[in-house]
Amino acid sequence: MGLRKAAFAALIAAGAGSLLFDLTLGLRLPSDADWAEAAGALRAQAAAGDAVQIWPAWAERARLFVDAAPVLAEEDPLAADYLGVKRLWVLSLPRTPFYRSPEGALRARGATPAADQRFGALLLRAWDLHAAPIAADLTASREMHEVDYVARACAPVAIGGRFAVRGAAGRVLHLRAGVIGERAYGAGKPPVEVQAFADGVSLGTLEVPATVRDGTGWRRLDAQVPGGPPEREFVFAVSSTDRSRPFCLQAWTTR
Amino acid sequence: MTGKGLARGLGFATAAAMALTQSSVGFVRDEGYYFTAAQGYEAWLRLLLHAPLQAIAETERYWSYNFEHPGLTKLLFAASHLVFTTWLGILPDALAWRLPAFAFAGLLSYWLCLLGLSRSRACGVLAPLLFWCAERTFFHGHLACFDIPICAMWAGVGVAWLRRSGPRLALTYGVALAVKHNAWFLPPVLLVHALLLPREQRAFALRRLPWLLLSPLVLFAAWPLLWHHPLRHLGAWISFHTRHVHYAWWYFGQVLRAPPFPIEYPVVVDALALPLPLVILLGAAGISLLLHFARLRPDPQRLLELGLAGAALLPFLLRTTPIFGGIKHWLAFVALLTPEAASLLERAAPSARALVLAAVLTLLPGLWQIAHVHPYGTSAYGELAGDIPGAATLGMQRQYWSNDVTGVLPWLNAHCPQGARVYFHEVNVESYQTYVRMGMLRADIHYAPGPEQADYAALQWHREFRDREPQTWNAFGTRRPATGLYLDEVPQIVVYARPGLPGAPEGGR
Repeated sequence: MGLRKAAFAALIAAGAGSLLFDLTLGLRLPSDADWAEAAGALRAQAAAGDAVQIWPAWAERARLFVDAAPVLAEEDPLAADYLGVKRLWVLSLPRTPFYRSPEGALRARGATPAADQRFGALLLRAWDLHAAPIAADLTASREMHEVDYVARACAPVAIGGRFAVRGAAGRVLHLRAGVIGERAYGAGKPPVEVQAFADGVSLGTLEVPATVRDGTGWRRLDAQVPGGPPEREFVFAVSSTDRSRPFCLQAWTTR
Repeated sequence: MTGKGLARGLGFATAAAMALTQSSVGFVRDEGYYFTAAQGYEAWLRLLLHAPLQAIAETERYWSYNFEHPGLTKLLFAASHLVFTTWLGILPDALAWRLPAFAFAGLLSYWLCLLGLSRSRACGVLAPLLFWCAERTFFHGHLACFDIPICAMWAGVGVAWLRRSGPRLALTYGVALAVKHNAWFLPPVLLVHALLLPREQRAFALRRLPWLLLSPLVLFAAWPLLWHHPLRHLGAWISFHTRHVHYAWWYFGQVLRAPPFPIEYPVVVDALALPLPLVILLGAAGISLLLHFARLRPDPQRLLELGLAGAALLPFLLRTTPIFGGIKHWLAFVALLTPEAASLLERAAPSARALVLAAVLTLLPGLWQIAHVHPYGTSAYGELAGDIPGAATLGMQRQYWSNDVTGVLPWLNAHCPQGARVYFHEVNVESYQTYVRMGMLRADIHYAPGPEQADYAALQWHREFRDREPQTWNAFGTRRPATGLYLDEVPQIVVYARPGLPGAPEGGR
């Protein structure tokens, strides 16, 4: 009898609780007015070098409203490069289920926040990334390509080809690369290698193996640029025994 | 009202509910193929009426399309369209094609009600309600596909095995075989069930099994493709499914592309996609049936329900069977647990009034899910997943089959200039043609093969197709969508327009 009562109570609680959750979900989500207000605030406050990171990364409805700065949907705020971004506006939906704040990740990379601004169910907070100043955006791609499920401003380079550019040497070369789209996941495919040179001097080799686990497909190499002239001829030679995959790389130097 | 009358009433109500709510349901990828198949088969039916010998001689010409699925359901789609649209002109194309699927949905309710009625009248009513009061199951009930039909036949074969004569069993199983290859798994279930029965029932059950040997006659009769070179076509059918490709599927932040798949995958997806009260009841029902199985003399019906539910799920626990399609491939697992779930609900309630309260509270979240999400059934998630936004955060498959595109068709109709080219992404040509045929999309809007050739793009949000969005940005020179279908903020369909075209946002980056 006790078990029966408990089962009945559990069913009633599950039904009522579920219904309550469903019916109140809308209250935890932003309205069009919330989005418009947040977009207006960004229009008033955003400056050159700012970008908007949406959070969770799926909250891309922001793109309908935000027009004052590029909208980014990076999935790992700790590892994301945020190339060229001085101030990052994190526009988030903190009341959504299973929400995990990006604050810890941003603090871990040395970013410091400004005050919160709330627009209904939206939270807007600016973060100073304290990023190292860029010496040269070597690839300077205007095109975007998806690598490892994030849109990236990278330059497509045919495997077997090379990307050469002259630019400020800076102190550190940052190289990122990966296979575009689903072909990154071709099991058994040989790795792609990117050899980086500055004025003919090897700075290192970045190996891009076939992606096994999502989130590991955008490979990185950070290498010291040896002393020398302020400008160098950078060459990135891309090679693999399998040349059929679309490949993309991004490179820049920092002071 | 007699028990059978009640079951029939629920069956008709189910079919009627599907018919009344189908018009907004988009044409899923597979439906596009089955619509095309039905058109070919309809042409064959007309030939059969005018020149039967020629039709019999030319079966391969008409029936080779979509050889990978048996003929019965597609033949019914074709016959329904021939009668209600071509001849009588009283139904629109899609409704006529889908009508037989609604009949199968009704049959499913009928048989679930019968299984429930063996426990009580309340269970007879609750079993089909528990199955249908969830957007995922409700959505699938609308489609001219095979998932609900085979689910219905799964239950139908169970009822026939328990209650019908040998010839009726042979016929019912034959129909199941002629609906979908899942039916291959049923004879072993019935054999094991027979062997587990008490001795006096065992012999009787085993004597009925040979009737199943007649069932392939139904498959043969309902699938004219087999009338010539049957072994070759049977071989192609079996080979297609034993070597089926694996489609990418997003699951807890990882795209599953190839075996081995997580063993718990089908159960977890059920738990996340269905309303929580139903999940709890189904889980309890599964445990209850397992405990019942451990008894010395298990009740034959409960034993069979456990076997049928388990057999519907088992292939997907092997870790190598393709797992795409949400919960649709193991709907019979859910269905065959509902009679026991209904019984548990009834047993937990201390009075009739309490039962009504508990039933209402159990069904309401599912009804809300239907009211809130329909017709975007493949996007639905339950409370355990945190509904649709929670599932997005967890990294679960956003949608599949492209039917959500109906959410943006009115916008495209309103904004596209004459002759505009639209990249419809995962919407196949067959479904696009049906949208045009049904008047849901303007006939002058053309189908573009890619964003580079398009004026507008309607992108379906799929993890494995994320490259299409930056590809569209590059082609259109804008990253601002024009509109989209967002369910509880979560992007499903995102529409881009080339700058300067009607509907394109001003400015933006």
